[in-house]
Amino acid sequence: MPVMTAPEPVRHDRVKSAAERAAIDASCRGPVLVFASSAVFWLLMGSMLALIASFKLHIPYFLTGSPELTFGRVRMAHLQSVGIGWASLAAVAACLWLMCRLSRAELMYPKMLYLAGALWNIGVFLAVFGIIFGAGQSVEWLDAPPYAPPFFVAALGIVSAWTVAVFRRRREPHLYVTQWYILGAIFWFPWLYLVAQFTIFWAPVTGVVQPIVNWWFGHNVLGLWFTPVALGSAYYLIPKIIGRPIHSYYLSIIGFWSLALFYSWAGMHHLIGGPIPAWLATASTVGSMMMFIPVLAVAINHHMTLLGHFHRLRYSPALRFTVFGAIAYTLVSFQGSLMALKEVSKTAHFTHYIVAHAHLGAYAFVTMIFFGLFYYMIPRLTGREWVSSVLIRIHFWCAAVGITTYFAALSIGGWWQGRMMNNPDIPFARIVMYTQPHLLTRSLAGLLLTTGHIAFAISFVMNLAGWGKQRSGGPTLFVEPQATYPPGPPSL
Amino acid sequence: MTPPDIALLATVVGSIVLFGGAAAIALGWAFRDGQFDNFDQGSKSIFGPDEPVGEATDAFPGINVEVEEATAPW
Ligand code: HEM
Ligand code: HEM
Repeated sequence: MPVMTAPEPVRHDRVKSAAERAAIDASCRGPVLVFASSAVFWLLMGSMLALIASFKLHIPYFLTGSPELTFGRVRMAHLQSVGIGWASLAAVAACLWLMCRLSRAELMYPKMLYLAGALWNIGVFLAVFGIIFGAGQSVEWLDAPPYAPPFFVAALGIVSAWTVAVFRRRREPHLYVTQWYILGAIFWFPWLYLVAQFTIFWAPVTGVVQPIVNWWFGHNVLGLWFTPVALGSAYYLIPKIIGRPIHSYYLSIIGFWSLALFYSWAGMHHLIGGPIPAWLATASTVGSMMMFIPVLAVAINHHMTLLGHFHRLRYSPALRFTVFGAIAYTLVSFQGSLMALKEVSKTAHFTHYIVAHAHLGAYAFVTMIFFGLFYYMIPRLTGREWVSSVLIRIHFWCAAVGITTYFAALSIGGWWQGRMMNNPDIPFARIVMYTQPHLLTRSLAGLLLTTGHIAFAISFVMNLAGWGKQRSGGPTLFVEPQATYPPGPPSL
Repeated sequence: MTPPDIALLATVVGSIVLFGGAAAIALGWAFRDGQFDNFDQGSKSIFGPDEPVGEATDAFPGINVEVEEATAPW
């Protein structure tokens, strides 16, 4: 592979282009920081709720005094806090910032987006605390009490409209693949959410159609909201950080369109073995298998782009998190496609194995990519370096070791749990006892993850508070200028 | 058919038309607009004179990638 070299850019062009980039970043600074900082808040909140839920599974008498802290409520509150709170707010921040940069257009009327941020946060607050105080609804992923959704709908409407408005004002004629993903996401998510609200709560369908709509929604939130935004972010950051265009742009476009085509078919794989028409589940299994196409397209592309540049992982925090997330995307999708086979589902369904898969997707893939994005985006918005390499390294290693342990413990425990549950000769209580050490390991992994989150939050708040070294004006490169730094071995 | 059935049918049919239609329009527009004409150029659209191809744009605070690479053992 020949090394790409560009002609030496003319200084004047460089300054002009840097000024344009800085002006675009400045135009979306306020709203993006509002979404990003509230995302970090809900990540911390979600971690606390997760730890309580996790400890309760192996210490049954932990916090039994109050109905507010029963497992059922705390677990649902965790899901809302990290799903609609952290991951969705981070996704909105990503959509806004990436769309402005890639369209080379400034954000207009940012005040409406402050309103959207406020509405969204009120919605998450009502969802999380509504559930804790007993108003949750037993529809997974849509368990927020009925008074929360209107806030999301209003906020989503504004966010989608503003993202499209930026796109329409674009100065860059070419649509980069990330923009395809973002446009897909901001079109799909409001539509999914509205249809699901409508058919489950406002004009409820009955009987078996209800779980079908429920899982069509639940699955597509993952695949047509979190996944495209996270993949879009990786498609921007990996080439940008290493300074090398994506290996095959053609493949990336194929990847986008095949995701759009196949993912929405796959939702019924959550109901394999359930009382739904057999052809529906089979169609979803086929859709899940077809997902190998976009997944392979992404995997090959990212790998080939990085080839020869893996050493950059030592230097760039954003790249580390993003590449970790991109690898996890391949793993979670391969695993998911196999789980959609009836033979595998027979063992894995209703076990901790699914929770392991859920976190491989929602954490190792989506959350890690958003961490990477934040490490790249926030300094460019505030004009300040991160204050401490040590905090970033603590975050990375806690997250990487934590989620790997989490996944391994629950995958092994969950698989054997499923095998035992399918054997009528094994008493249920024995299976419960068998899972205990695995659940304890998950809690320890959770403590590690939470430690990482706290390190991340400290870095984040310090950056916002103006602690880092100032970097305004010139190019947005966050690389020290040549020869001002004494060389030494980089630490991991 | 009960009202919920009708609502469901309308939603499903409406969604297929809206969703499939939107995808078809988007794909058609992209072809007409020449988005798929030059993939090589497309992949470079994220670079610019200030952040050109061949230049790394991110590092831990205090690390100079060029110096690190020049002195690295590999
Ligand atoms: C090709 C891609 C994927 C396929 C085929 C797939 C397949 C599956 C299947 C079959 C289940 C149901 C397991 C069961 O209950 O028996 C499942 C659950 C789940 N998957 Fe995936 N998956 C894929 C990618 C992802 C990604 C990218 C994410 C995260 C963003 C993710 C997150 C989840 C979550 C959170 C659940 C649990 C849902 C719940 O029960 O609450 N999956 N997946
Ligand atoms: C501090 C780290 C975390 C810990 C200890 C943790 C723990 C847990 C626990 C105990 C559950 C309930 C599992 C069950 O029902 O048996 C759960 C569910 C879930 N968590 Fe987390 N979690 C953490 C972070 C996250 C993050 C950051 C996300 C991403 C957005 C996430 C996404 C989910 C999802 C999607 C589910 C539902 C899984 C399912 O139904 O299969 N978690 N988590």
